[in-house]
Amino acid sequence: MKKYLMIFDENLCVGCQACSVACRSENNVPDNVFRLQVRVGTRGVFPNLAMDFKWQSCVMCDDPPCVTVCPTGASYRTADGLVHIKEDLCVSCKYCMVACPYNARFMNPITKAIDKCTFCFTNRVAKGEDPACVTVCITNALVFGDVNDKKSAVYKKALDNPLVFPKAHLGTKPKLAFIPNKKGGLL
Amino acid sequence: MNKYSRRDFLKISSVSTAVAGATGTLGTLGTMGTLSAQNTISGTKTVPSICEMCSTRCHIEGRVENGKLEFIKGLKIGGNGDSVCARGGSGLSQLYDPQRLVKPLIRVGERGEGKFKEATYEEAFDLIAKRMGEIKNQYGAKSFIFSSKTGVSHNRMVSFANSFGSPNTFSHWSSCPITYEVALEQTVGGGLSRDYGNAKYILNFGHNIFEGVVISWAKGVMKVAQDPSAKLVVLEPRFSVLSAKADEWYAVKPGTDLAFVLALIHVWLRDGKYDKAFVEKYTVGIEKLIESTKDTTPQWQEAITGIKAEVVEKVADEIHKVAPKCIIDWGHKTTTGESEYQRTRAIIIANVLMGNLEKEGGIYFSKNASAVNKAAMMDIAPPLAKVENIPAPKEPRIDGSGEAGENLFVPKTHGVLTDIPKAILSKTPYEVKGWFMIRHNPLITVANPKEMKKAMATLDFIVVCDVYMSECAQMADVVLPEATYLERDEEVYEASSKAPAYVIRNKMVEPINNTKSAYEIFRTLAKRLGIDSGYTWDTVESYRMAQLKGNETLYKDLVNKGFVNFGIPPLLYIEKKLVDGFVKKYPTAAENVDTDGLMSKFLEELKTPSKKIEIFIEEVEASFPGYGVPGKHDMDVAKGFPYILTSGKTAIHTNGHTQNIPFLNMLMNDNPVWINPITAKKENIKNGDTVYLENNVDKEKAKMFVTEGVRPDTLFVYMGFGRESKELKRTNGMGLSQSKLLPLTKGPICGTMITNVGVKIVKA
Repeated sequence: MKKYLMIFDENLCVGCQACSVACRSENNVPDNVFRLQVRVGTRGVFPNLAMDFKWQSCVMCDDPPCVTVCPTGASYRTADGLVHIKEDLCVSCKYCMVACPYNARFMNPITKAIDKCTFCFTNRVAKGEDPACVTVCITNALVFGDVNDKKSAVYKKALDNPLVFPKAHLGTKPKLAFIPNKKGGLL
Repeated sequence: MNKYSRRDFLKISSVSTAVAGATGTLGTLGTMGTLSAQNTISGTKTVPSICEMCSTRCHIEGRVENGKLEFIKGLKIGGNGDSVCARGGSGLSQLYDPQRLVKPLIRVGERGEGKFKEATYEEAFDLIAKRMGEIKNQYGAKSFIFSSKTGVSHNRMVSFANSFGSPNTFSHWSSCPITYEVALEQTVGGGLSRDYGNAKYILNFGHNIFEGVVISWAKGVMKVAQDPSAKLVVLEPRFSVLSAKADEWYAVKPGTDLAFVLALIHVWLRDGKYDKAFVEKYTVGIEKLIESTKDTTPQWQEAITGIKAEVVEKVADEIHKVAPKCIIDWGHKTTTGESEYQRTRAIIIANVLMGNLEKEGGIYFSKNASAVNKAAMMDIAPPLAKVENIPAPKEPRIDGSGEAGENLFVPKTHGVLTDIPKAILSKTPYEVKGWFMIRHNPLITVANPKEMKKAMATLDFIVVCDVYMSECAQMADVVLPEATYLERDEEVYEASSKAPAYVIRNKMVEPINNTKSAYEIFRTLAKRLGIDSGYTWDTVESYRMAQLKGNETLYKDLVNKGFVNFGIPPLLYIEKKLVDGFVKKYPTAAENVDTDGLMSKFLEELKTPSKKIEIFIEEVEASFPGYGVPGKHDMDVAKGFPYILTSGKTAIHTNGHTQNIPFLNMLMNDNPVWINPITAKKENIKNGDTVYLENNVDKEKAKMFVTEGVRPDTLFVYMGFGRESKELKRTNGMGLSQSKLLPLTKGPICGTMITNVGVKIVKA
């Protein structure tokens, strides 16, 4: 059985937004809404500073609150454990947007259905390709795959690094993990 | 997968029903928004090509479905894997932007008023040929000047200008990379590459590799940043992404890098900690350097750079310990001041002292086909033929580049952009009547655009080729819409590194509304003006075949794969294991190997006057006394003003090119000026406040961004905003163009534009 996992290594990310553009291009994301963003922020006091690179998208919960609250079954969990939206069942009630602890959902301004990251499942992953964001990353900050496959890059990355699952205390069991930033500016 | 309709150009353009020549339709005059839908191609294909969203020319692959480009990624075999940056991935957003120009425009109002009529290419070419011919007859060909960003458009333009008879060709160099290009040429006889990924120590002077992204460099530097046994040290007045990834960041005072490097050199020479054998064998002029750096101590630099003396001692020691696996990075345009030439020369020489030339993890000459054939003593890779050989006219230029005087060392096809306004307005050394610009928008990218615009306003005829209605296009008599790089077949390009390789630009889709490439524009105009006797090609295909000397197999390989190398192992002349590998594959190469097992002879026949690395340059000293060897020069950039305004690149935009492109504009549509909280408090500024920045050049409104990420005496701004063209509807009026505050003075020797400038803050 497959267990998808995406790992975002904050140390390798440079905040260039190549992932965000690839996502928009691949998934025809409407103007001025985003399925994913990397948010860059500086903390500290000059000259003792650090820069954080934070990933913002659907985390593909194994126990997804958005599915629980959906009154029409539009939000659903697949056998592979991914969370998708059936646009034609969506009534745009926005319960899922409120229920999502990761602020990952938005209303598509064209279809008026709720929209979010799909891990590029039907258009790429189901064909054996990586999601668009993972494909283009210029510094290989993203790794995706089946973590049950011991030969996979994602398995190796998970083994070699401390993974942080966002808001793990909520028990949602995300399939997106972060490797926290170790570096700050010195002096 | 998605039922909603994509932001599809076909869909968008199908609702507008424009008639050529009409105004007031949904699309603005001449733009793609005025076209109606047309699509007859079906099927899916992938096309290998080369990017042009910045200057780097990364290898890309496009997925084309039913004649429409859907996705761009890296070309796997090109060396960067599938990687493509945000700008590269947004190429299709430019291609299908309804605000993009697809029809020629002819001016009908006053110059600069922005009133045009749509025209056909025929009409536009007729008018250009007629007016250029008239000006040539009346004032001489030299009264027409030409400018372009470097690349194929510049190459085609220079050949055309040469045929036309004008010596006045310019590139963007003097506003960007001219200093390192000239300094490397003078010091080692040619360009050098940096072997970032194999370095154990990188000392970086504001070379902003994670924002001014070159993908292969970003990968290499990231490897060093992540390697616990390697070190990345960055000197930069602001906390850039690169600074954030560094092992150490020092917020150097803008314009003073030179002092730090001179102190570094002082320490190495003082302690005898440099590669004496290398310096002895391959260089000239060390004694002059010893003399010029005898008092440039770490203590001396502390007062200038703001970096503690012990840091210099530590860095000097650390680099020396890992040398030659070290890179002291001269950068690109690193936003310095008048000291840029001396700074860049000092950095190149610092590398030389560490003996890292032609060593792994150091710096090296790219090994093109000619170089490896020479090394192997046989033909192992096919060199490209030079196709255009149209000689330049021998007349003096308006800026005196390449002639005795202040611009003696400026290459003639590049020139000094900041000298143009004065030449035009003073009619000295002669009158300028026309300007042909392609892929160039000096009203945004060159200092003091007010003066530049004043000069343009006096001209009789201006032609601008661009993808968008740029600020310069608004000043033009004729605007020719250029095909984007995704719609153009182009020549074969060099892509050699430690081994030869070629790449080719293939069009991914047919040009929308038959927009033309630089090849077609200049070749057609040469024909119409009756000046094309020097041309040996008619089409891009014939150009390519001439380059490849009729080698059809290689031609097909390039077109199909986009990237071709020849299975030649990497070569660095004095890296023994690479020399061994090369000789193993090509035994005839043994003849070039010395008793140490190296090809050191190739470092003793450099293309410099002495054939050696010139630490001291006699011809520079002769024309610019004191500049023959790096020394203490010109490090004050504030010039009495309280703050220094400095600028830089973001990973989301390229110079003045991309601000209006939908995908990128959505990610970044403004450039507020960074100010430290201490300074903000002193000036009573809150985050988001608007103030004036003022100096001797101009006074400009600026929105302020209060951040800890910048020195208290420094203000920082990303480049390319403050757009005045109303046709750039998304970006018009947003942000500040720092060029407006830059002076027309230039750095010595290379004529480089000054991009650090003193300013004061005035309440709005």
